Amino acid sequence: MSEESTKIKESEGTWQDGIAKTITFIVTKDCQLACKYCYLVGKNEQERMSWDIAKRAIDYIFDHESDFPEKSVIFDFIGGEPFLEIDLIDRICDYIKVELYKRQHHWFDSYRFSFSTNGINYHTDKVQAFIKKNASHLSIGITIDGTERKHNLNRIWKGEGPERGSYIDVVRNIPLWLEQFPGAGTKVTISSADIPYIKESVLHLYSLGIHEVNINVVFEDVWQDGDDALFEDQLMRLADAIIDGGYYESFACSFFNENIGKPLDPERENRNWCGAGKMLAIDSAGNFYPCTRFAAYSLRSKRPIIIGNVYDGIDKNKLRPFLTLDRLTQSPQKCIDCEVASGCAWCQGENYDAALSPTVYQRSTAICLMHKARVHANNYYWNRLFRKLELEGKREDFEKNKIDVKPEIC
Amino acid sequence: MLRYLIVLLDDTSTSFCHYTASNKEPNLISLDILRKAIRWAMTENLTIQFVYPSHELLDEWNETIETIDHVKIKPATAASTSDADVVVFEGLEAIDMPLSKRDVSIVIRTRMSDFLDKHDRLHKLLAQANRLNVVFTDVDSFADDDQKAYDEALASLSLVVKNEYVNNHPVQFNLLTDRIMLTEMNNCGAGDSTITLAPDGQFYVCPAFYYDADGYPVGNIEGRLDIPNKQLYRLQYAPICRRCDAYQCHRCIWLNRKTTLEVNTPSHEQCVVAHIERNASRRLLEAIRQEGEFMSGTEIEEIDYLDPFEIARP
Repeated sequence: MSEESTKIKESEGTWQDGIAKTITFIVTKDCQLACKYCYLVGKNEQERMSWDIAKRAIDYIFDHESDFPEKSVIFDFIGGEPFLEIDLIDRICDYIKVELYKRQHHWFDSYRFSFSTNGINYHTDKVQAFIKKNASHLSIGITIDGTERKHNLNRIWKGEGPERGSYIDVVRNIPLWLEQFPGAGTKVTISSADIPYIKESVLHLYSLGIHEVNINVVFEDVWQDGDDALFEDQLMRLADAIIDGGYYESFACSFFNENIGKPLDPERENRNWCGAGKMLAIDSAGNFYPCTRFAAYSLRSKRPIIIGNVYDGIDKNKLRPFLTLDRLTQSPQKCIDCEVASGCAWCQGENYDAALSPTVYQRSTAICLMHKARVHANNYYWNRLFRKLELEGKREDFEKNKIDVKPEIC
Repeated sequence: MLRYLIVLLDDTSTSFCHYTASNKEPNLISLDILRKAIRWAMTENLTIQFVYPSHELLDEWNETIETIDHVKIKPATAASTSDADVVVFEGLEAIDMPLSKRDVSIVIRTRMSDFLDKHDRLHKLLAQANRLNVVFTDVDSFADDDQKAYDEALASLSLVVKNEYVNNHPVQFNLLTDRIMLTEMNNCGAGDSTITLAPDGQFYVCPAFYYDADGYPVGNIEGRLDIPNKQLYRLQYAPICRRCDAYQCHRCIWLNRKTTLEVNTPSHEQCVVAHIERNASRRLLEAIRQEGEFMSGTEIEEIDYLDPFEIARP
């Protein structure tokens, strides 16, 4: 690590964060893997998007340009595993580009194609040809959960027979991915069984050359008694490792953020966390959703919330609850009064799925203790790091150079 | 806080609001459930509103009903409406029926298109009645193209109402005078101040939740009332409505649920209709004041929107 460098690496955030419309094509509900923590309870091999549905969706969106005033757009492709449908995706992206040009649409040259992939098909000829064709408008995230042991704990191949982890099928594509997307980050999801492996996993990902690791605990109510203490312990160990190893200079881990763990002002800081309703998702039947989490395959116990379809368009009345949601209205009193509220996230879809009645206005608090554990470790991290910088005479320099990162909004 | 219990005496009890009491055969509430409802209302300090069907009730039911102070809501087609507190007419055609007494509240359920075509039929009634409520059965299909026609219909009726006030008959007409009289939101109250008991012995947020296929019970008279996410029926938990000053708006919980999938969020159509009424009330207030002093201290501000969603987005 450089002796002079005191600029701490922080999360890059999302392209055009806050000013881009995210439009998600659920191109397939199939995946090669059967990850144990996957929230998609209704995955299947039958529901694949047809070209007709995709084209109708694009035509509807472009025909109603004034309903989509955002400056930029992110066309997001998810599954299942999106690259299973690379032929369809390639056709969709070509059509989008041609139509943006033909219509002189305000998104022309202000669009991006985004993918979250399991990475298994990343090296294939078709995927590579697509990447080369669209390189300047692409962001691709490969999900790798950490060490082989940690990754294979959850991310296993689907099918009968003994469990088979997918680590070696993914890690072989990481060098190619990082060569093509040097600043790319990975997403790591933490469930109860993963807690003991957090520190080793983050350090392993750093060792693979991944400079940005975005980690979240799952929002579902999966947590066991004592998980918060174990979680805090793992994060403290990770904090020590990042500081002692000097990783903070060029690597980022989203667990540690200066802005979390503060009380929130009820008036000035009353925004909804989640972007559901500001996004648009389309499934293979041509139905529109406020986010993919409201599609049937994502929901355990509630009916899907369908806000329209490619034939009839968007029913704007069904968007009103999402667009007027605020933090206080959906939060229980303990969250409103919470002294470490900032950075405590929620997923509107999980809130809906877990609610006592069919509403998006009941905030799930399943991660409460995990957030508090994170705040403890986060406080420790920054106190230790700042003290180290002060002792090294680099604190002032750090404050001058630091990036003011807002909490990540879904 | 719960204050009212609506008891549907029969599956064919009249609708007195936006919903349609459809696809039901006569099915009288059992005496046992009726007695338990009355007992529960007494213990909870609730005012009961009994909603009647067209057909007559048996003596034992009538006698039981009279054991508690209450309000009677009856269809105009009932055998007798002389003891009704509220009489409900279906459509503007039906109101030619003679009214048995002047102090009864009149409810007229009508489609918006009929109202726009035939609102002149209300003139005579406005001169006779003390309280007139017009309820639209198709608010959810109100189109932006209907705004001008609705505004004009209310302007026409305002002239009649103004003359009634000038002639010392201060008729209450929900579409035009409620907003003038109110100083805060006075809406439907379903799930908050009002709960409904159906003939099946189950509680519903309002009668519409009993009749609608997507409705759901919230407890039963044998057990207890259990409204999940009860807070969402209160005004403070309605992001659009809590900033709104269309105080007369029904803020229909059932229409909210039906159109936006959330009980606390009104549709664009419901908001626009309520704001056209609000603005017509404002003009009526000014017109009455041109004839003399009236409601000094009451002002309705001029606003530049018809849908408060525009100002409610965080």
